[in-house]
Amino acid sequence: MGWTRFFGRERWDKERERELQTYLEIETDENLARGMTPEEARYAARRKLGNPTQIREEIYRMNSLTFIESLWQDVHCGLRMLRKSTGFAMVAILTLALGIGANTAIFSVIHAVLLNPLPYNDPDRIVLVVESNPSRGFPQFAVSPPNYVDWKKESTAFENMASIARGSFNYTGGPEPERLSGARVSASFFAVMGATPAIGRTFLPEDDVLGKASVVVLSYGLWTRHFGSDPLVVGKSLTLDGESYRVVGVMQNGFQFPRGVDLWLPSEFDADALRPGARGAHYLRVMARLKPDVSIDKAQAEMVGISKRLDQQYPRTNTGWTSKLLSLNESTVGNVRPTLLVLFGAVGFLLLIACANVANLLLARATARQREIAIRFSLGASRLRIARQLLTESVLLSGIATGIGLLLAEWAIRALRTLPPSNLPRAASISLDLPVLAFAAGAAVLTGLLFGFAPALQITRGAPAETLKEGGRTSSTSRHGVRSALVVLETTLALVLLVGSGLLLKSFLRLQTVDPGFQYKNVVTADISLPRSKYSTDAQKIQFFDELLQRIQSVQGVGEVAAASGNPMEGSNLSIAFATKDLQALSPADQPSAGYYVISPNYFHTLGIPLLVGRYFAREDSVGTPRVAIISQAVAHQFFHDKNPIGQTINIGIGAPGGAPIWREIVGVVGDVKDDGLGEAATMTVYEPYTQMGWDDMNLFLRADSDTSQVAATVRRQVASVDKDQPVGDISTGERLMAQAVAQPQLRTMLLSLFAGLALVLASLGIYGVMSNTVAQRTHEIGVRMALGAGQSSVLRLVLSNGMRLTLLGIALGTAGAFALTRLIKGFLFHVTPTDPATFVEVALFLFLVALLASYIPARRATRVDPVVALRYE
Amino acid sequence: MAKRGAPPLQADLLQGTLDLLILQTLVLGAAHGHTIAHVIEHRSDAVLQVEHGSLYPALHRLEDRRWIASFWGTSENNRKARYYRLTAAGRRQLTQQTSRWDQLVGAINRVLRPAKE
Repeated sequence: MGWTRFFGRERWDKERERELQTYLEIETDENLARGMTPEEARYAARRKLGNPTQIREEIYRMNSLTFIESLWQDVHCGLRMLRKSTGFAMVAILTLALGIGANTAIFSVIHAVLLNPLPYNDPDRIVLVVESNPSRGFPQFAVSPPNYVDWKKESTAFENMASIARGSFNYTGGPEPERLSGARVSASFFAVMGATPAIGRTFLPEDDVLGKASVVVLSYGLWTRHFGSDPLVVGKSLTLDGESYRVVGVMQNGFQFPRGVDLWLPSEFDADALRPGARGAHYLRVMARLKPDVSIDKAQAEMVGISKRLDQQYPRTNTGWTSKLLSLNESTVGNVRPTLLVLFGAVGFLLLIACANVANLLLARATARQREIAIRFSLGASRLRIARQLLTESVLLSGIATGIGLLLAEWAIRALRTLPPSNLPRAASISLDLPVLAFAAGAAVLTGLLFGFAPALQITRGAPAETLKEGGRTSSTSRHGVRSALVVLETTLALVLLVGSGLLLKSFLRLQTVDPGFQYKNVVTADISLPRSKYSTDAQKIQFFDELLQRIQSVQGVGEVAAASGNPMEGSNLSIAFATKDLQALSPADQPSAGYYVISPNYFHTLGIPLLVGRYFAREDSVGTPRVAIISQAVAHQFFHDKNPIGQTINIGIGAPGGAPIWREIVGVVGDVKDDGLGEAATMTVYEPYTQMGWDDMNLFLRADSDTSQVAATVRRQVASVDKDQPVGDISTGERLMAQAVAQPQLRTMLLSLFAGLALVLASLGIYGVMSNTVAQRTHEIGVRMALGAGQSSVLRLVLSNGMRLTLLGIALGTAGAFALTRLIKGFLFHVTPTDPATFVEVALFLFLVALLASYIPARRATRVDPVVALRYE
Repeated sequence: MAKRGAPPLQADLLQGTLDLLILQTLVLGAAHGHTIAHVIEHRSDAVLQVEHGSLYPALHRLEDRRWIASFWGTSENNRKARYYRLTAAGRRQLTQQTSRWDQLVGAINRVLRPAKE
């Protein structure tokens, strides 16, 4: 049977009609010739031919594609059924749309973030090589330049290995000085990443030689922003940190590694970076490209061997240090994977609940349709045919729901796309692309079959004669069993989700109440990085900040101002080895390490960090006076055993040139600060005054009453008045930085709570639906009971106990499920155990009350049954 | 459905026999539906009755298989009628089917009248 025939069958039918007409005419003519009257002749002809319509229908059928035809019929019929019961259709479609929309949105994130290959050439072969010292609590650590050089020389598993060191550079030459983000990379970097330039070239090995040539490769963004996409940019020069660099190339649009860089400079390790003692200075990120036939495990084994040799050769710096390989993918998205998988699981549950709910609705409707189905059976429809029609209706429902779900997903994706990469890496690439649409379509068909299957099976199983006799009024008990089971399932899943979100919520609230050890409200921060070319001596750096702090302090509206080498709101900064007199015999590799801040005297005061013993730094602590230091309480506790450490001395890793220790006198002890994150333990911290230790990269902290934008302007103006070429880096507020720090837990807590909330609504709708239906079906029975003298309260109890039995069963199963599953979110919890009894009890109670309410409403309705009406109804 | 005289047999008593008869009828030349039915009845001395409810679907089926082709023509008494003619494929088919039929009849006869064989 050809398609042309299929589409031309209307025309075909017309021809048949004419053909049959001709037959009748010829036959009539002959009959007339036989001597019949015209009337008789026509009648006899008709009789001989038979039923022309039937003949035409038979031929018509021969021209049709039966499967598609009946499918079209089913769709048509399904649409009509949905239009007829708008209320049912709306509830079902909305429920499913929520489920499918949430699933599609989360899948689009998983697809873009976890599944899509990274936008580099053959990204599976790119690995990150880190140093690791688990015994000292550094599972993944940056690499020191001498170790990198040895790795690169000795390893054979890689096609190439590259080093990356992020940095910021002051760009002058535009209308205003600007701080650019850059990276010093080895010449091999672009080969490792498999990136080719859009214009010009990348670095050559000779560019890496110190002092050879000052060259720079621009990012596509910087090229458009500052060079107006000039195609002749190669060879032009660029002033960074007061020095001139020659542009040799521009990278392709979209290539930005590390994240957010504007430009790349050659690594140019100097003698100082490669001296033996520098093996302890870990600050490089090392990437490598595996040879095609080498597995990551094999490369890992080789690297461990090399590290072991270095460990033995340089015990002073390398003791305990080994190396570890991470796939690029793992290092980019590894930290969000657990969150995304848990959320995916949660939306999966939500979709199951939605399916159960719609299945329930369909079953309820099946009662009403039982007569219709029975009549179809009686007229000769096959069971398969009817089951197929019901399934088509279900898939149709889910199809429409998917359309709406996709709109919801698109809306959600737009919101998710605006998340900064630090919360969700690769967020910008999330979209409703083809694979995501395919997923949604798959989800639609699958859910349609899933929630349509039970009703279709149920409805086609009953004997039609029985149904017709029953009058379609009473439902069979087995159907009721299925509906109850669905309610139990919904309750179970909802409880698991609620417990999960309850635990996260509790963790998040506890996290919020953690005292970071400093005041961040109403604090504005700004980042200032002095170029080494212009500020090479300590004296120059000290003078710059002295003058700047004084000028800002004198501006109206600024309460306090301070400077520090790190920002505790942005996470831990420098970590440094230190020693007390007792520990001085230890090699640097064995010395304890602490966070290290170089600060202005006013720092503690501005950030509200309490002084416990001794004094703050003072203006009098200067280059000419004895070296001083302040330690945090944790250091005092661990190394001075809570004895008064004032007057004791401490040596910090940054010593005099030549490595001779410089002993600083401890003048004060301050409160601990949680700069590694609110969920982490407070780190030990050592402070030094910038007036004794010139520092070039400082954060300003301003406590101001006036609004932020004005403060920002003030800072820019004052910086420019000290040095007109000096840009100001990121300006932010304490509130924003602290919010940033909890953004990921906040996001997952919000999303999981949202899904759990939806699950609760759907589950209670399910309970309500089933109980309402039960009451409607038992009206007669209730009427009889009341006629026999049952009171309202006993009727209420009857109905409620039915609903509560299902709920309790669901809660019991859900508790067991949650017990097994909350282990998966253990890593997200803070000061809450995965089986926190309080959360379990609270959630169970909450769900119980909601379910009670959901069955109370129909139960109330049952008590209002008028026995007379109920009995007459039957 | 005409049933006159001695109990007639339906021409498509056996699956495919009507097809065979139609093809054979058309060997003589193109004909329209009425003629085809008439010829089959006439040639079988009215033993075979063509059920018109089967004739036209059969014609359609044969045309679909490209064993016959159709065209509009004018009948003996000047009426517009749909004519069918045998195609080359139909002619081949007829030869094949006829010999298959002979085999079949022979086989059935051997079963029914073994003594005579």
